[in-house]
Amino acid sequence: MLDEPQDKDTKTADAWVPSVCMGCYNCCGIKIRRSGGKIADVIGDPAAPNSKGHICAKGKARFLDLHDPKRLLKPMRRGNPNKGVGVDPQWQEISWDEALTEIAGRLKKIRAEDPRKLVIAHFDIPAYGISKAFGTAFGTPNMHWNRADYCGAAPHVAHLLLNGSFNGEVDFEKCNYMILWGTQLGALAETIPLHTAEVMADARARGARTVVIDPFCSNAAAKANQWVPLRPGTDGMLALAMLNVVCNELGTYDVDFLKNKTNSPYLIQDDGHYKRDLATNKPMVWDVAAGQAKPFDAAGVGDVALDGEYLVDNTLVRPAFAVLKKHLLQYTPEDAERITTVPAATVRQVARDFVAAAQIGSTITIDGHVLPFRPAAIHFKRGSGAHKGGSHTTMAIHLLNLMVGNLDVPGGQRGVNPIGPFWEPTADEDGMLVPAQYITKYYKPYPPRTPKIPETLDLNELFPSSLFTRGMFAWAIREPEKFGITYQPEMLLHCRTNLMMNSHNPEAMGGVLKKIKFQVSFATFVDETTEFADIVLPDSHDYERWDLFPANDPYAFIAPGPGEWYWLMRQAAVNPPGEARPWTNVYLDLAERIGILDELYKVGNSSWNIAERHKLDPTKHHTVKDIAERQAKSLLGDDFDVNSLKDTACMITRKKTTREAYPRAFMNMRVPIYLEHLIDTGEKLKVVTDKLGLRWDFKPYTPLLTYFACHSHEHTKEDPFDLFIVNFKVPFITFSVTSENLWIDELSRANPYTHNVMINRATAERKGIRDGDRILIESAISKGEGFVKVTELIHPECLGIPSTLGHWARAYSISKHKGTGFNNFLPAPDVEHIDTLSGQTDSCTRVRVSVLSSKDH
Amino acid sequence: MSKYGMVMDLDRCIGCNACVIACKVEHNTPMDIHFTKILEREIGTYPDASRQFLPVMCNHCDDAPCIDVCPTKATYARDKDGIVLIDWDKCIGCGGCILACPYDQRFPVADNRTVFPAHGTDYKSPVVERAPSGVTAKCDFCYHRIDAGKEPACVEACPTNARIFGEVKSEKMANIIGRKHAFTLLPDKGAKPSVYYVG
Repeated sequence: MLDEPQDKDTKTADAWVPSVCMGCYNCCGIKIRRSGGKIADVIGDPAAPNSKGHICAKGKARFLDLHDPKRLLKPMRRGNPNKGVGVDPQWQEISWDEALTEIAGRLKKIRAEDPRKLVIAHFDIPAYGISKAFGTAFGTPNMHWNRADYCGAAPHVAHLLLNGSFNGEVDFEKCNYMILWGTQLGALAETIPLHTAEVMADARARGARTVVIDPFCSNAAAKANQWVPLRPGTDGMLALAMLNVVCNELGTYDVDFLKNKTNSPYLIQDDGHYKRDLATNKPMVWDVAAGQAKPFDAAGVGDVALDGEYLVDNTLVRPAFAVLKKHLLQYTPEDAERITTVPAATVRQVARDFVAAAQIGSTITIDGHVLPFRPAAIHFKRGSGAHKGGSHTTMAIHLLNLMVGNLDVPGGQRGVNPIGPFWEPTADEDGMLVPAQYITKYYKPYPPRTPKIPETLDLNELFPSSLFTRGMFAWAIREPEKFGITYQPEMLLHCRTNLMMNSHNPEAMGGVLKKIKFQVSFATFVDETTEFADIVLPDSHDYERWDLFPANDPYAFIAPGPGEWYWLMRQAAVNPPGEARPWTNVYLDLAERIGILDELYKVGNSSWNIAERHKLDPTKHHTVKDIAERQAKSLLGDDFDVNSLKDTACMITRKKTTREAYPRAFMNMRVPIYLEHLIDTGEKLKVVTDKLGLRWDFKPYTPLLTYFACHSHEHTKEDPFDLFIVNFKVPFITFSVTSENLWIDELSRANPYTHNVMINRATAERKGIRDGDRILIESAISKGEGFVKVTELIHPECLGIPSTLGHWARAYSISKHKGTGFNNFLPAPDVEHIDTLSGQTDSCTRVRVSVLSSKDH
Repeated sequence: MSKYGMVMDLDRCIGCNACVIACKVEHNTPMDIHFTKILEREIGTYPDASRQFLPVMCNHCDDAPCIDVCPTKATYARDKDGIVLIDWDKCIGCGGCILACPYDQRFPVADNRTVFPAHGTDYKSPVVERAPSGVTAKCDFCYHRIDAGKEPACVEACPTNARIFGEVKSEKMANIIGRKHAFTLLPDKGAKPSVYYVG
């Protein structure tokens, strides 16, 4: 077994063991208290810049999970061949050897037949390195089925296109006006949460104003100066109307930024394509002084036009900005009011305040560099993006940032580390930004890939401008023939992603899981998805394992802006109990059993950032800890000693340079206001979907940002489903994970919202619903129940359902049947309910409610 | 004599409940007993509505009514710093203090078993003594941590630094209390609380 040598002495002595939290995906630095060989406490690591000694409720409470008596301690085999929601698997204990022998046997057979029949599903970010090397060595592209797309298949694309980075944030130190759009940044429900909570509180104390746009008055909205509730899924309309106000009514935008850092001056032909130089094929701009069109990067191009109409090579052309401006005229604040319910006056006021706060034209000197100063920023995430038109919506929101030139400059909106110690974005031949692969992590949305008939079950081949399309696994497994996929997945390796609760209707998802012949799950607690497993293996808690280094990937988990480069190492604080083992170690074991361990190491050598002198010897055994040490030495220097992590597991290498902290002024590439590449991409895609006879939605394959209503918005007055369900995060619960915890459950029960569903007071009165009523909630495809909290804090057309609750797993004792499951009401993905550009699944669904019983009776 | 107090900065508090869990872990209290809580309330009418978070705990009052009513003198203010504590050897759990406390911050401990009692889980070698069954318990300002030179657990955890702890007359505290127009809860009760609120 390729486990770390069990060192009883060092694993039992009383100590504070520095490591990394996995209470969510954010990798905050922690110190774990080992006392009498058991875990007794956990605190934030004061030396880690992403926690500064602080810790959140879920991070603090979750060490209790190590003491939970329902912890899975032995491998088990399913006794009941029938699978389904609520079906008892009739577990029977088996030995590790029996389990691994069977799993390895099946893996060998599959690999010989068609390795793509293996699917790997998990949302264990620090384990991606190992699982990806295993999958690659094995030969399957079907990796990492999870709900990472839940938060941001669309928003991340907007960040990659305009920031050159996977994620976004705000320069809290200098920003004076922040709009949080469908997100709770700074309220412990988003990225780098302890850091952002603190610096956002500092910003409030400094007098920075905050506006929160959200159908529910979230914890973040509670701290805002202005809460702007809107009809769910209409965020795109609001953003486009605000853009219209900025560009056409106010006419205030950052002209220098548009001219020099965007494709605004690129000349557009009537067919929508760039006017390209006949000699160089470069997009052309109109040189005002010369009175002629020139390639955008030609020597001596002077001031370029943003407006006007020009004749070039006998073709009538207009700058992209002029095209956009005209296009925006259709999105009036009055129309926006009708569609979003946000008053036209508010649309104008927020747009005006934002532009005024941005101080367009102002500069600031930092370390001798004169940089643009734009102290206004908009941050957006899942709330605005998880809709049918998610790509266009989040791009439209982000275009508001672009218009004031606040991208990656002091005071403004910023990408998370687009430039780092060993990664750089580049420009393509059109001068457009191409993010660094290291910071993109998955597929680059730009330049677009060539669409083709899918071979992978995430269908990424049909989404050539996407980042990841993991919500599509369920669809492709359900109907592979529809996509020309010629094989049926036969085996699922599953860990740490509860697909049954986190995706869509569980009956539908159960049907998908049942189609896979053999499921192996790794689990600490047997959750709803693990109940479908044929063999379940006892996994370690993250306090019981090592991980590849760094645990905190810089694409999301190192705070952007000024500060330091810090790298965290996860180390085991105690040994796993019973026969539990880190699932990452089991990959190495399985690889050895099926004869691909050397191949796995070779893949790792080329993908794990290991310096030449520390490369793995494929003929030898390397444990996860050994690999992590080699990675750390490669980054930190050969003096690094993996056994020396006594005070902190956070290694700070150096202060960021001004260029790394505020990169935009130093970046010579342009970002799009006009998505020209989508025209060709859509046409190429259509050839593929026609070949497949697949009904597809090509509307988003248009270069101009457009509002697309969600399917659920197409309804008549007679439609009985009259309420939108909306979901929001609770600061002390992560996904479906942390609610199964005694202490978190106490918080949930005491909280007025967590275990309830929210209805606006006026709506409740109209429907005769009272506080505390138990109601039936019905969507077109599903039913559920909830206890009503009547409130002023929600849009009157909505039913608010918090977090991912309502567990039903047989083994669950704490959170079972508490709260209501939002995702249960969502349909399985189909062309009506996805953004065909990004693969984002739509969270807009309508329900009707009726009273089952009243508290008074 | 020094006097410890706390300032709750309501502009900074985001209602995340990290403090509640930090306290819970520190004191390993029985189910549903929390020595500090975040109260929530809604204000206004849609769409001009919002919500407020109010962290509450024992106010460690200068004129603590709980001390006055205690028949066994179990509740006392520590001489050196005014922290109001309960001597569980003396407490008979009569509940007089629970009624007397204007802030509803004293809790009867009927059964002091905590997590997973059926499985005998003792997750912690207690630094601080756990309340026995049959007594009254409350926030002790983490006196054991203060004596060890640390801040209370709730203060340490708070992600937004919304809780500021120190000697009330120290420059740090006096500055905030004076500058930010601090107030106390239910001043008309005359208990002279040591927990202040700003924002």
